[in-house]
Amino acid sequence: MRDTIIIGAGLAGLMGALALAEAGRKPFVLAKGHGTTHWMGGTIDVWGAPDEAGPRAAVARLATEQPDHPYALLSTAELTAALERFRALVAAAGYPYVGSLDHNVLLPTALGALRPTALMPATMAAGDARLPGPILIAGFHELRDFFPPLAAANLNAQGIAARGVYLDMPPIERKLDFSTVTFARLFEQPAFRVHVGRQLRALRGDATRIGLPAVLGLHNATSVVAELQTLSGAQIFEIPTLPTSVPGMRLFTIFERAITAAGGRFQIGSLVLRAESAGERLTTIYTEAAAREQRHQAADFLLATGGVAGGGVRTDHAGAVRETALGLPLRAPNGREQWFAPRFRAEDGHPIFRAGVGVNANLRPLDAADRVVYHNVTVGGNALAGADAIRERCYAGLALATGWKAGKLLGLV
Amino acid sequence: MDQIELSLAQSLDHCIKCNICTSACPVAAVTDKFPGPKYVGPQAQRFRREGEQRGNPIPDDSVDYCSGCRVCNQVCPTGVRIAELNARARAQIVAERGMPLRNRIIARAGLVGRLSSGPHAPLVNFGLNFAPARWAIEQVMGIHRHAPLPQSSTFTFRSWFMRRAKHPEQSAAPTNGAQPSALRPLKQVVYYHGCSTNYYEPRVGQAAVKVLERNGFEVIIPPQKCCGLPLLSNGDFKAAQNLHEYNVKHLLAYAEQGIPIVGTSTSCTLTLKEEAPELIGLHGDDIKTVAAGTYDIFEFLATLAERGELNTDFKPITRTLPYHPPCQLRGHRVGRPVLDVLALVPGLQLDESHTQCCGIAGTYGLKKEKYQIGMDVGAGLFDFVKHSGSDLALCDSETCRWQITHGSGVATQHPIEILAEAYA
Amino acid sequence: MQSIETDVLVIGGGATGTGCARDLAMRGIRCILVEKGDLTHGTTGRYHGLLHSGGRYVTKDPQSATECAHENVILRRIMPHCLEDTSGFFVTTPWDDPDYADLFYTNCQKTQVPVQEISVAEMLRREPVLNPQISRVFEVADGAADAFLATHSTALAAREYGADIRTYHNVIDLVRIGDRVVGAVVEDLRSGEQKEIRCAYILNAAGAWAGKIAGLAGLTVTVVPGKGTMVAMNHRMINTVVNRCKLPDDGDIIVPIRTVAVIGTTDVHVPDPDVYGIDAEEIQFMLDEGEKLIPGFKQYRALRAWAGVRPLYKDVDAVSDRDIPRTYKLLDHAERDGVEGILSIVGGKWTTYRLMAQESVDAIAKRLGNTNPCRTAEEILPVPATEYGGRKPTAAVANGAVGSSAPSAPRPTGLFWLGKPLADVERKHSYGDLICECELVTRERVVAAIEADSAANLDDIRRDVRMGMGPCQGGFCTYRAVALWAEIPSRRANADSLAQSSALLRQWLQERWKGSTPVLWGDQLRQLRLDEIIYYDTLGIDLLEERGENDTAGPGMVTEHPAIATEYHKA
Repeated sequence: MRDTIIIGAGLAGLMGALALAEAGRKPFVLAKGHGTTHWMGGTIDVWGAPDEAGPRAAVARLATEQPDHPYALLSTAELTAALERFRALVAAAGYPYVGSLDHNVLLPTALGALRPTALMPATMAAGDARLPGPILIAGFHELRDFFPPLAAANLNAQGIAARGVYLDMPPIERKLDFSTVTFARLFEQPAFRVHVGRQLRALRGDATRIGLPAVLGLHNATSVVAELQTLSGAQIFEIPTLPTSVPGMRLFTIFERAITAAGGRFQIGSLVLRAESAGERLTTIYTEAAAREQRHQAADFLLATGGVAGGGVRTDHAGAVRETALGLPLRAPNGREQWFAPRFRAEDGHPIFRAGVGVNANLRPLDAADRVVYHNVTVGGNALAGADAIRERCYAGLALATGWKAGKLLGLV
Repeated sequence: MDQIELSLAQSLDHCIKCNICTSACPVAAVTDKFPGPKYVGPQAQRFRREGEQRGNPIPDDSVDYCSGCRVCNQVCPTGVRIAELNARARAQIVAERGMPLRNRIIARAGLVGRLSSGPHAPLVNFGLNFAPARWAIEQVMGIHRHAPLPQSSTFTFRSWFMRRAKHPEQSAAPTNGAQPSALRPLKQVVYYHGCSTNYYEPRVGQAAVKVLERNGFEVIIPPQKCCGLPLLSNGDFKAAQNLHEYNVKHLLAYAEQGIPIVGTSTSCTLTLKEEAPELIGLHGDDIKTVAAGTYDIFEFLATLAERGELNTDFKPITRTLPYHPPCQLRGHRVGRPVLDVLALVPGLQLDESHTQCCGIAGTYGLKKEKYQIGMDVGAGLFDFVKHSGSDLALCDSETCRWQITHGSGVATQHPIEILAEAYA
Repeated sequence: MQSIETDVLVIGGGATGTGCARDLAMRGIRCILVEKGDLTHGTTGRYHGLLHSGGRYVTKDPQSATECAHENVILRRIMPHCLEDTSGFFVTTPWDDPDYADLFYTNCQKTQVPVQEISVAEMLRREPVLNPQISRVFEVADGAADAFLATHSTALAAREYGADIRTYHNVIDLVRIGDRVVGAVVEDLRSGEQKEIRCAYILNAAGAWAGKIAGLAGLTVTVVPGKGTMVAMNHRMINTVVNRCKLPDDGDIIVPIRTVAVIGTTDVHVPDPDVYGIDAEEIQFMLDEGEKLIPGFKQYRALRAWAGVRPLYKDVDAVSDRDIPRTYKLLDHAERDGVEGILSIVGGKWTTYRLMAQESVDAIAKRLGNTNPCRTAEEILPVPATEYGGRKPTAAVANGAVGSSAPSAPRPTGLFWLGKPLADVERKHSYGDLICECELVTRERVVAAIEADSAANLDDIRRDVRMGMGPCQGGFCTYRAVALWAEIPSRRANADSLAQSSALLRQWLQERWKGSTPVLWGDQLRQLRLDEIIYYDTLGIDLLEERGENDTAGPGMVTEHPAIATEYHKA
């Protein structure tokens, strides 16, 4: 019997596990696989809609403006505390984040758009659109998920002086196949860095800042960036690429180490199939395993399986929408015809992606009549109903804050 | 179509192309001869014909570089059975192009073990440690001259166990308290020792017997053959099927009576549980009964511990040991039972490796063209073991233990050996 | 207005039109082909990909059956790289009239459609997912056809012989002087420029749009647009075409084509070939029917749904659209309507396109006094540069200025087979260079498709090389392809190319979304959400300014134009 099982290893589950470990629990993190950490760019977006007053104020207003939004379940102090804890965690791991909740920073994307975010790894900070100085965007032909000329051209069109160049591949054995992670490993080799850094210096021209794909090392990105700055003579910043996200992998590793060091454990690769309860307490969950199910018992559970992307919400052809791990009731649009807006780029997104578990102020899951289903379960992250975290640009912020609170609430029991 | 077959076939439909598997793949990390699990798995699968080829060649080549370590299955968020898709694709290659002599030999663990172990073992071991002989073997058979080959034992585990049953007082391992007491209800357990325990490391079996007996079990060792995994991973499904059917025949009666079948080799138990039935497509009731009754020994002991039935009368062992959970354990999808059980031994600390694979992957790292890939895959683990400062490392899988010792120079044991030591 | 002169103006860039252009050019007759969209933009690019054995028509439409059986053999010879020899089953399920089986067999014999009854056990051995309750199985020579590739190969062949093929040229008027049609006014949708094409004959091969074209000359041709909806499943659970052994009906056929299995079709009369939608009920019905052939069918992942409009020619009183004969008809408007200079080729099906072209060109050649024989059944089609083993055409061929000359592009070496794209990538170790990973499309092939004269948007690249047609539906390849588009030397550093690339991205995402929504649930919905993560979270597509007119059309690019839009675009 475990004291607490966290289902889901995305940012919400990881932050919840951290909170539990700090409350003296031995969190057991159970997940089908790696999640949205490995897809998202590694910035902590808190609220992306343009708002002069900044993300903190925007979130504060949601409590009255969108009472069904999961952010409405948090106080500003809780949001701030969660993000502060996150910053302390990554700073201690040598991968500091910068930024604030007072205003968003605009960072260039691999398409050359400027996207708003509250916190970003220090390795991305020099991309801030407000900073002066022409930009050089550099990449490799071998990396098919990053195209400097296109990004640079779109930046120029928005009034930011930028140039896109391709670098020569330093002499290495590998010739055929390169992923973002391959490059991250290559950047951990000193000779590779030196070769790239020298090219950057030669190509720099009048650029004072150089944007590179976010592949500058898996474990020591901060020092890779520092070294490339010395070699090139310019500020270096990372730009997120298509999945798999190297910055996201860094975050996962930092959390995994911290939680394990605090006595937590991970079991990745196990899909929760079903649950058993005694009255209003969840007692047991079963995971898929070779030849038979594996049984797990715990005193408390934190559900952080995500939404449609993460796998916590599953739909079928008949229009059914289901919570996959515990079979909790969901708040979801009724019937397939209600799922979608007519156009892909509809401003408010598609209603199906707001499907999730309804909870009370203590993040306990509710049924259709607003009765608590299980008193020993809290829910965090995108498994919560009411947000379209992609369109609202609040994915990581919402996950960290609600995950933290969901863990804290269990830790208090 | 059988439901299990259907779920395997449909698992490729779950792929959303997110690259998480490829990012985690330890082989793709060190060589681009292997384009990664997404490409050779669900992606290539859409271009493969299952079954009859109607005169068309098999399109695959690079899938041969999949080591079958299953990291991809573990990290995949959507549930694609990538490793199984790859194993079947490798079998199609073998079906079409035949199996090289080298693979035929290393795939027959039982036969090789039978020929090399016994009183003549020192001679065999001398030959395998003799550089010119290894050079010749590499030339003729394609087994890399530096690949870690096991040392044959001068006696087999079965011979020890049979002798001991006849003359308990002469047995090498202490047996005091081993015999079921008349006062206690008789508990029985079947021990599936596998080839490596029998021919190369009887000490692992001796430790397992001791631990089981200390927990009040009578240990039964029925006739058994190689589980067939080396054949499966080298693509000879037909020969593997024969072995599996033999084993099922001899284990079925116990499984039907609810007597657990436990093994110390994570790969053998996984083969009984899942690999053989799924890869060959055997889904008969007998096969399912044996699968459902088979346990990795620490999985079994962890279940005992959870029920409060584990004998925890341990003497303290004040050591911190590096522990590497092997890939085959990953395939069981039961977490890290070794950590749960050995945490009960006072003073014993395990330091988990958090590296993915030692690189041997059964017989993969023995092959001439893959030896260096295997060593590169294992490099992180070797560093971890070397830097631990310990003179002993633990790992549940035999081939991994040999590889770890080969790569790090540090001696290795099965965790059951430490546990046996903890029972004074 | 620029005026161009030719012998024959072919209208329609589908299978029939390109087939006509090839036949005309091979006989040494000058011709221009105009197509308002890309090649295969109409029905050819929206069908299920069945190379008919004829089996489907043996009872209802015996003439069609015999024509199909005959052409089936010819097409296997002249375009093996476009065809897969899947074989086909006609199966009697518990829901089908058991008496039809014997009638089917007898009618196959009568119509010379090769057929052989096999045992259910043999069927299950070859296709273990099929319903074991199937009682009878007949094997026929069905196959799978890549209609995109076939049309491109046909067009390339036509160009080698001097045909002038112009895509994104919309016919806005036919020039009629008295009782003779003497030419057409066309608009180049990319430049907005109008041109007059003067010709001796117009060959109206506009398929479902043939009635609209004929109407421009004041002629009445009744083409019933019969909408057929299809669903592509993520992978081939079967490798044999499977038909229900009954009179043709909705949802009664599954075609394994390339990497997918297509279930089809419905048949719904629509008032206009440009205005139609896909109903949830149609999809549900087909999934239910699929379940009868393959138990568990609904659990498989559906990728995409689309519809094509059948060009059914109505000259008899047909009760339902399915009762209209599937055979084709050549309308000589001089005989029929007393108007010279125009012929319409209507009806028919993909499998008989070559025969339709032959008959049409025979009629025109006779009037022009050209006695060269038709050789389209003998000469092997070339492989376009967008395929592995293809080669860039010479500049002269690309410009349609070669004249009757020997073929220059490489010829295919054998029938297509499912594993071929994978084997090509493996052989060349080009897996690190895949732009569309799902369909194994390399950078080289995408660039070839962009550089090919007809690529006006990403959808054109899709039709050329299947980019974006796999499970992720463009999730990973769209960004890459747009970037490659922007990097093509002629477009580089061009302010317009930027506006274009963003617009291309947006248009393509919408296009893929449109096709996905009818089947968006389960894995495919999850996929779509990952695609949203990529385009919103990682790339910020919504944050790039949309620039009004520039966003929907730019030089050399057509993303949305009323002339080539269906109702979905307009919605």
